[in-house]
Amino acid sequence: MTKRKTFEKFAFYFGNTLIALIFVSPLIWMISSSLKPESEIFKGLNSLSTFFPKGASLSNYIEVFQRINMWKFIGNSLFYVLVIIVLDLLVNSICGYALAKFEFRGKNLLLTLVISLMVFPAEAIMLPMYREMADLGWINSWASLIVPFVAKCFSIYMFRQFFLGIPDELLEAASIDGCGPVRTFFRVVMPISGTVYATIFILDFVAHWNDFMWPLLVVTGEEKRTIQLAIQTFFGSKPINYGPIMASLTISAIPMLIMFIFLQKYYVEGIASTGIKG
Amino acid sequence: MKKSINKISERRAAYIFILPAVVLLAAFLIYPSLQTVRYAFTDYNIMRPDRIVFCGLNNFTELLKDEDFWIAVKNTLYFTVLVVPFQTVLALALALLISSRRKGVSIFRAAYFSPQVTSMVVVAILWTVMYNSSPDSGLLNALLVKLGLEPCGFLNDPKTAMNSIIFMSAWQGAGYQMMIFLAGLQGISREQYEAASIDGAGKIQSFFYVTLPGLKSVIQYVVMITVIQAMKLFTQPYVMTKGGPQNSTRTLVYYIYEQGFQKRNFGYACAVAAVFFVIVISLSLGMKKIIKAE
Amino acid sequence: MRKRVIAALLTAALTAGVLTGCGEPKKRVNEDGESVITIWSPSDEPAIEEWWVEKIEAFNQAHEGTIELRREAIVRADSYAYEDKVNAAITSNDLPDILYVDGPNVSIYAANEVTLPLDDFFSEEEWSDFFDSSKQQNTYNGHIYAVGATESSVALYYNKDLLDAAGIDVPDSKEDAWTWSEYYDAAKKLTRDGVVGTNIIMDKGEGLSYVLGQFWISNGTDFVNQEGSSAEGYLNSQEGVEAAEFLNSLIRDGYANIDPIQKEFHNGKAATMLGGSWEVATLEKDYPDLNWGVTYFPVADENGILTSPTGDWAASVTKNVQDMDAVKEVMRFLFSEENVTTYAQAISKPPTRVSSYDVLTEYNEYPRSVFKEQLMETGHPRPRTPSYSVLTAEFAEAMLNIFTGVDPKEALDAAAAAMDKDYNKYYAKD
Repeated sequence: MTKRKTFEKFAFYFGNTLIALIFVSPLIWMISSSLKPESEIFKGLNSLSTFFPKGASLSNYIEVFQRINMWKFIGNSLFYVLVIIVLDLLVNSICGYALAKFEFRGKNLLLTLVISLMVFPAEAIMLPMYREMADLGWINSWASLIVPFVAKCFSIYMFRQFFLGIPDELLEAASIDGCGPVRTFFRVVMPISGTVYATIFILDFVAHWNDFMWPLLVVTGEEKRTIQLAIQTFFGSKPINYGPIMASLTISAIPMLIMFIFLQKYYVEGIASTGIKG
Repeated sequence: MKKSINKISERRAAYIFILPAVVLLAAFLIYPSLQTVRYAFTDYNIMRPDRIVFCGLNNFTELLKDEDFWIAVKNTLYFTVLVVPFQTVLALALALLISSRRKGVSIFRAAYFSPQVTSMVVVAILWTVMYNSSPDSGLLNALLVKLGLEPCGFLNDPKTAMNSIIFMSAWQGAGYQMMIFLAGLQGISREQYEAASIDGAGKIQSFFYVTLPGLKSVIQYVVMITVIQAMKLFTQPYVMTKGGPQNSTRTLVYYIYEQGFQKRNFGYACAVAAVFFVIVISLSLGMKKIIKAE
Repeated sequence: MRKRVIAALLTAALTAGVLTGCGEPKKRVNEDGESVITIWSPSDEPAIEEWWVEKIEAFNQAHEGTIELRREAIVRADSYAYEDKVNAAITSNDLPDILYVDGPNVSIYAANEVTLPLDDFFSEEEWSDFFDSSKQQNTYNGHIYAVGATESSVALYYNKDLLDAAGIDVPDSKEDAWTWSEYYDAAKKLTRDGVVGTNIIMDKGEGLSYVLGQFWISNGTDFVNQEGSSAEGYLNSQEGVEAAEFLNSLIRDGYANIDPIQKEFHNGKAATMLGGSWEVATLEKDYPDLNWGVTYFPVADENGILTSPTGDWAASVTKNVQDMDAVKEVMRFLFSEENVTTYAQAISKPPTRVSSYDVLTEYNEYPRSVFKEQLMETGHPRPRTPSYSVLTAEFAEAMLNIFTGVDPKEALDAAAAAMDKDYNKYYAKD
């Protein structure tokens, strides 16, 4: 029995490590390249040594911070992304909850609409949306970066799917205790749905943190420049130097990783203990 | 529940709950989408916003004859049909691999998710090295040659380019769906597994009798969004192949971008987009029907 | 909760406002009554960013009370991102007064009346100090639509050690530039031990038109006719097909990679490279151990025309301009002898004004002299046509198709037809 357990443990760590390496190798290569001098980055790409910098140096990072106001751009991105997410979590979760648990006229229509609207590719509606921003006088404002992205069909649908799994008995109990539907949602449903909120937080954060095309169109100048736009300045004129690019990409990955690790605890705790079935 | 809660207060709450989302969707998704559809009937060239002329169904009749468009439709469907099962199964496998409560699981979780936080620039550089067609610089080809096989063109061979992109996309995207599966797995209570194991179910049986049924609605959701994301494939061909070689990786959204922005044929691109809307909406409605019918 | 509902309703009201139209364009004047002139140019190296700050300050001091000059650095990324941004600004009439554009796009903007002619910005004598290559690229329909401070060129870089080992000599005058056959033979001999003979910029994008288009010119044809209205009989002419076949032979026979890894030449993995003038600085700075040289752009076998790529970003004046006199003042300032010289120096690119070379003497010495000589004597700009964006995308696609096995004539026919279709759809009637 213990032998089997040990073997299982070994298989678990060995297998996972092997697979994890395949997934994480680009990230490692990026970090390792950011510590190399320019001429080393593309040398010997097909050997393992490309993952290990010889004589690491921070000079690429120093260059990044000397050339651009990195802190400000990180701050800008953090600000608008977090505002989007907070609003997204609120607006879409209540909508998803209504679709999951309330009966009202037009419910089916709305659900169909939400599902259909998921498919509209940003590339196809970007220009009309830009014109709309220009007409609103929102070009170069935070509003143009934030407001259009608050309501999101993906989020609404995902919230709905998960709220469907909350047993009606739980809500009933709350209403017997005298909670109205609004209070029930905020007092009972929200606190036990950490996993969904955390999931959407993570997925949203990554999506908007990496936004490039839209901020490019609506933001001009440094005041509201986002981190992705800032990174692209290193691709500007030829010759392209990859050292600072790798350094700035690494810097840009850090907030995502921190956010990810921070939200992990919602996954570990889970909601199994609260008695909700999937 | 329906008996105990006042129906009117429930309905009022429902309208308050959906109002913000509905208003925002109407203003920033439906309105611009309708604009897109409107432009589909014009000869809008991006450089001439003051000279937009209504041209009836011209764009659509042209579309029917446009070989590149049909190839893009075919490529998009091909990609979707292959990548969705592949990526979903991969994501579920990853989620199961790390669903246990062992120490260090969070590190693996972060690792599997990491392609999502790695810039596409880096991913593209590394995969062009992996896929490079010369065995001297391409890792996979070096391997093939060592195994005594013929080197493969990967991204530079119209026969294999799309498959190469499928493989890469699944690798990069699986972490996203894995997160959703993980959230779903949390919803299956331990008691259910315990009950199954008391009944003498092994690991494999409890997967089929507890896990899968428990994940049913999550799987539906994941399949749905994977299909939708697959239909919207753009970045990988844009960064790695520019739709080539020989049209083999030109997808619909890539074609929309190429026609509308690069070639500035915006009216025509809007017509492609309109057809795209129709295809995908009917597809998602069809999927909804299938899910309901079960 | 209620607040949020109100906020949402407000949004709806605002959106309704959208539908009812928008106001007049904003007056481009600041609080002090100064005319505000805005420049959009790609964000650039620190040296150039500093140049801008310094020059704008100087200009504003000298014009206090009349003009305020501002510059906004636009992220360029690949050149499409910058163009997408401009495209968006065109739809809402939000263009700056002065817009920097990449050389071959000058004709597109000019033909669509997005930019204005600048012939009278400089006197004839002043214009004659600018390189012909630059003026040609920036001319559309007989008028000059943009002014550039710098130029670019491409020549053949080679790895001295590898060439010595193979016993290959390189030409030292442009009259002796390698013919295509000589270039092919050299690439053949040099391909061994994991090193390819040459690298022909395979970026799957603008680089192909920029560099490979020269093979069409050298073989006695071009991409389009003189008027820029048709590619049929040019891009897909017999000479054009020969050029494509030659390039394909390098790839097909394995003497050049279809998908080269970045810095292939720099890392000694390619023995030669068709490389831009900008590589000189990189090679000097980051690859001091590489023993390299530069020679002239290859020329077609029989009666080949000596040629080399040219073209760089240039400043144009948009239709949204309000104070033309002030803009003229700014342009004359930006492209004065002194400022062209200092700009070119800061960015380490060849300047467009002949007189600048009196100051920038490094261009009289090898290796930079090769580029200067090419620019002054053999440079040919990319085709000038309002359908350039279609042409260049189609050309890149055609080449990639040819390199993966499509018949060259067939691929070029399709590209020429696509370009002509675009021209006939939008411009033939103008």
